[in-house]
Amino acid sequence: MDHQFPPRLFPSFYNRGPPEQLPRGRSGGWGAYGGVSAQGGSGPLSSWTFTSRRRVDGEVWRQTEPLPVPLLSPRKAFQEYLTPPDPMDFLSHLQNFFIDDGLDAFRCTSEVLGENFYFKKAKKKEKYRQGSVNMWRTKSYIDLLKYKPCPVSNPSRSLERFSSHMSDVVHDVPLELLGSLLYEELTEQRERMQFSERSTGGALAYVPFSQSEGCLLYPGGLGMDRLHFHKVALQNSCMDASSSEPVSFQLKAPIRQISCGSVLGDCCVAVRSDYHCGVWRFGERKQPCLLQVVDAEAAATCVSVSPHVLGEVLVVSESGAANLWTVGRGLQKVRTEESNLYFNAKSPWRWCEFSAHPRVMVYADRTGAELTDFRAKASGAHHTLFRISSTSDCRSGERLLLCRYLGDVNAFHHLVATQHSAYVMDERFPCVPMLKCDHMMQAPPLFCHVASASDRGMGETTKVLLGSHSSQEITLLQYSGGRLEACSSRGAPQALLRPSDSLTHLPVQIPHRQQAAAQRLASPAAGLTCFQKKGGAEDFSLCVLQLTEVGDIFYQILERRPPAEDKSGAPEAQTSEQLQVSNPARHGDIITAAPETPDRIVCLDSSTEGAEDERGTRKQLPVAFNDEPGLDAEVCGGEEVDRSSCWEAPLTISSSTAETWKLWLQKLRLTGQNQNPEAVRPQNFVVQTAGLLQAADRDAGGELDEPLRREMKGCMRRRSLLLNDSASIKVPLTVPALVNAEAWTDALSDRLTAAWRGEEEWQAWWRDQLGTNRKMKADALRRKRRMQKEARRAEGRRFQLSGSFTSSVSYQTDLDDPFESTGWSSAVSQGTLSDEEGGAVLESEEDRTLPVTATPDPIRTTTPQKYTPSRPRPLPPTQPNTPQTPRANQRSWRPQDDFLSSVWGTQDAPPQSEEPPQSEEPPQSEEPPPLPSSWFPSSQSGSLRPSLGSLPSSQASQSQRGPSQASQPKRKKSRMGF
Amino acid sequence: MESLDEHFNLEDESESSDDSSRNRHKSKLPLASPLCAETKFESGFQKTGRICLEHIREAMLHHKWQEAAEYMASYTQMLEDRKRRSTSKELVWRLSIEILHHLSNSTVKDYNIIYERMKHSGVKDYLTICLEHSFHLMLHGQIEEAKQQLSVAESWRYGKESISQHQRVKLIQAYRSLLDYMIWCDKKYTLTKNNSIESDNQGMQTLFRQASVNFKELLRNPGVWDPFVLSYVEMLEFYEDYEEALNVLNDYAYDNSFPPNPNAHVYIYQFLKRHNASEKKLVKVLKNLHLLVPSHELMLEYSFLLLQSERTSDFRKAFAVLLDMLDFACWRSNLDVWKSLQDAIHQLLSQNEGQMIIQDYMALRKDWWPKLHFTRSHAKKDSEENAKLLEVKASLAEILCPGRALRYTAEPLPT
Repeated sequence: MDHQFPPRLFPSFYNRGPPEQLPRGRSGGWGAYGGVSAQGGSGPLSSWTFTSRRRVDGEVWRQTEPLPVPLLSPRKAFQEYLTPPDPMDFLSHLQNFFIDDGLDAFRCTSEVLGENFYFKKAKKKEKYRQGSVNMWRTKSYIDLLKYKPCPVSNPSRSLERFSSHMSDVVHDVPLELLGSLLYEELTEQRERMQFSERSTGGALAYVPFSQSEGCLLYPGGLGMDRLHFHKVALQNSCMDASSSEPVSFQLKAPIRQISCGSVLGDCCVAVRSDYHCGVWRFGERKQPCLLQVVDAEAAATCVSVSPHVLGEVLVVSESGAANLWTVGRGLQKVRTEESNLYFNAKSPWRWCEFSAHPRVMVYADRTGAELTDFRAKASGAHHTLFRISSTSDCRSGERLLLCRYLGDVNAFHHLVATQHSAYVMDERFPCVPMLKCDHMMQAPPLFCHVASASDRGMGETTKVLLGSHSSQEITLLQYSGGRLEACSSRGAPQALLRPSDSLTHLPVQIPHRQQAAAQRLASPAAGLTCFQKKGGAEDFSLCVLQLTEVGDIFYQILERRPPAEDKSGAPEAQTSEQLQVSNPARHGDIITAAPETPDRIVCLDSSTEGAEDERGTRKQLPVAFNDEPGLDAEVCGGEEVDRSSCWEAPLTISSSTAETWKLWLQKLRLTGQNQNPEAVRPQNFVVQTAGLLQAADRDAGGELDEPLRREMKGCMRRRSLLLNDSASIKVPLTVPALVNAEAWTDALSDRLTAAWRGEEEWQAWWRDQLGTNRKMKADALRRKRRMQKEARRAEGRRFQLSGSFTSSVSYQTDLDDPFESTGWSSAVSQGTLSDEEGGAVLESEEDRTLPVTATPDPIRTTTPQKYTPSRPRPLPPTQPNTPQTPRANQRSWRPQDDFLSSVWGTQDAPPQSEEPPQSEEPPQSEEPPPLPSSWFPSSQSGSLRPSLGSLPSSQASQSQRGPSQASQPKRKKSRMGF
Repeated sequence: MESLDEHFNLEDESESSDDSSRNRHKSKLPLASPLCAETKFESGFQKTGRICLEHIREAMLHHKWQEAAEYMASYTQMLEDRKRRSTSKELVWRLSIEILHHLSNSTVKDYNIIYERMKHSGVKDYLTICLEHSFHLMLHGQIEEAKQQLSVAESWRYGKESISQHQRVKLIQAYRSLLDYMIWCDKKYTLTKNNSIESDNQGMQTLFRQASVNFKELLRNPGVWDPFVLSYVEMLEFYEDYEEALNVLNDYAYDNSFPPNPNAHVYIYQFLKRHNASEKKLVKVLKNLHLLVPSHELMLEYSFLLLQSERTSDFRKAFAVLLDMLDFACWRSNLDVWKSLQDAIHQLLSQNEGQMIIQDYMALRKDWWPKLHFTRSHAKKDSEENAKLLEVKASLAEILCPGRALRYTAEPLPT
């Protein structure tokens, strides 16, 4: 019975005075009993029983899911920045304003001054305007500002003079005013983000109709200015909001608070936005209808619906006036308070709540709360219910943040929340808190919901949920008593799940989506509500709903451990077990989660094409896991996806929750896309991948390979191998057309072509490539040269001259072998470089510039072509790195060096002196080609060398020096290409 | 005190480093300071401790006690940090006890170790820890040990007494006396059972004297002392010192420096009732209680006493008391109150000015009583739950709210 007052309260001192200066006991109420009271006494000593003010045993509530579940699909919303702005940044804001919106900042003065300023080079000035001031130097300085130079190192004298002359007139808005206003605004924004007092109370309410059904009231729309009445039902373990469409009303301003009160089945809803308040009436079978709207002159801070008389609402505004609003009759001022109640807290925030008496209200501000009887017009009818003082053991700096009448729990109880503690006050014994629990929240609580014990006789506890704004915290406190025995808190405060933490339990997405989702989920909370469901004798569940500022609603369902288990201490034992079990699994998941990510995204992508076909997406989920060799043992499905990642929660994510989240994230992405049109964003380079992995002739195989695909998908889901007998190739798969090996002339293609010809060919290719058979070849070359020399000697000098100036085509065919010899050496010198620098680019470039040569053997001819031309390009990087060139390489050139020196004779020195860093290279390699640039890569070294070899030394040195100087810039150009 | 000074410095430091970049604009927001704030100059050791504490906090808030215990094992090293010893000591003590509460395999020995160690590792929290330790022992039925703890704490002295220390000493004395009283009760019980042992009587006397000194001392301090007052009064009554008992109760109830505790008046009323005091005295007590708590359940008795007195002014008072009761949500559907109201109205109407008196009282309520009591929904609810109530209320509706078209009738409603 509510009228009972505990016959004996816990002993405590009654201190009056300001709160203590020292914030004592920052660890809150943890670990302390706070006082005991004894019962019994008619029997022997052992018959006495004690109860402590802080009781250790509480109900054990556990979430059914390790993360909160979104109730509604995400809608478009404006999202503010999550990090509060720093007021000291106002300078950079001003700077941005001046640079980006110069016209707005300086229009008037600039129009006046514009005629007298001249911004072009000074020489021409006289022609145009005689009396104008020359500004080009200033302008050039200002142009530099784009690059953010150091202002100290680049001073502009003229600009300084101008600014000292005109800094007070040049701004349209005086700088000091603008600066201070901006600073103020940033300060206010920061404070509002840290502590948004206007959303106190919360804009989420739930009106139960029956045990599992009720109506959820929440704001929606882009500006949170649409009031929704939405019928929801709590099914086994999830909430269902899809059964009916919400009834909605468009309002003029964002909704800050929703207050509900129901009297005998009729429900009255008061909605507060900044300057308007409205009252709706609805019932289980009654459609909601708007009754009346009132405007407030000052910003309304609180609206509170009477739990006693239908249609009575208290409205308080920042002016300090509390009005009783009898719907239909208008406002009646019941109390005005210009200053704060007990001391000057410099806060215009006021709050009002009804109390056990229909004509007594609680009038609260940051310093305390008073009970005001508004029947009596005299001002004496106030007495303190709560004040920030040492009576309640407050700390200095503590402020009242929230006041709530707990009519459902106990007709005389009020909940008062500060940033440190929650107090339960009894209005029959004001001033002294019946209970004080520290909620241990980091951000100040602005929302609260109290779920009364459904069965008071069973020793059930009353659950107090406190919610904070910026950090989304929800804390569950429990207490019992208040009637036959004094109030005592039960158990330790419990932090519930936050939406912002939920991404850690979900599969990782690609970074920018992850970021977008994280940002959305981290938006501050805007409301909190909760309802209880009692299924059977021991089946209690508590559904906690939380609204965020972007209009998302998340719910989490808590289940109560049966009391019998509570006492045995079983929960703790289980926790430790779970910890032990889950820890290794956690590590496993971290490792495996990373590689599977891209696959998962691919799946999600493809599923969105199919218009969010749930079954489709589910089928595709397991695809990601087939790549993981270690995961074969796991069962497929949504459950195991996140079992190990939800290490902290007692249960795994159920498949339906995983599905809900997946859909939610997908829809969030879609809304995000609509919100930011593609035109705004820079386009990414997209590779067309459609049809890349499809058979060439799709029409023919389209229907035929359908069963095969299905089979493959089935295998992937089962994580089994696709065996031949199960997927016997009944379908005549179309074979791609034969590859023309000659069309591909790069090294890889060469190697592959060689590999197709057999192992010997392939090994020979590698031998060629690595130059292991160089000596052999060199011998062959020497022999051949000797033979050629002899032949030339026989032929005379005429051929030599012509040979040095004819086109390269003839040379190449003629000088097959010598090319090859240089090819080896270059390949060796380049080997390390081309690996580092992506030889493919080089090769493709070279392929383009390659002349089509009609050589009999493509492999043999392309090899030198490919490497010789690319040789000069890697050289520039080697110049600084010369000392680091591997010795093996240097040594490996020796044979050739020997050979070449024999060929070159005295011409070793000149190139060395010209370019000393390249001295280790064979001199020929630096040979610049005296050829058109298009031919430059393919023939630069080859075209000359043979001729040089055969030239007399004087001629050779001439021809070498000349082009080497001429080609210097060319080489540099090629260096640019890197 | 050295430790206190240290604490002061610490606080200054943490405050100054709180928002050093924005000293000009000091935030007045009611934000909670974190459990352990990051300071400007912290060593690696302190940083580790801070992070560890954060982990402990997180684990405790999520009720992962095993994890918290593992972190706690490391956090005790923070006791070696001289600078913050006093804060970390309190944290270690409180957090470890809380974790022990929730671990299934914690033993009494664990508790004792923590309490004893933390008690003796400094002077600041000695009394608090002693008190908490004794609470722990009491809750676990070890009353003798608890009393021993409290006696030890009682004789402990260190330095100057601060106010909080003074209050703690008083509480320790009071709780020890409460335990004395309980032993006294035990002896009384054996005495009444055996009815012969003389020596026990002596022991009881000693206990009573010890306890009464402390209780008397404590009751001079303003506070809520319900259990102590009751124990003291019971002992005084046993030794038939009724005058002193009444004094104690009167002081407890009527001393203005005390908080307005409704129980204090209830205790006097019960005491007077036990000793068959006159109705006048009872009415006086109840009148005071009525001013304090108009919704108290004793108001029903108050109105009953008033109605018995045959005076018009008393009828009027009774009527007012009952109307006040019916304002409150908890009495609205209570048949006894409505019946008493019916009686009072009948008594009043039998007088000359009865109608006027009723109208006077109802004038203040005329715009909200109909909605509060006499709507059709109320009628429906009452007819479902309590037909008798419906009858009583319906008979009064017209008298209380004349001229209003009330839908509250005793007739079955057309649905």
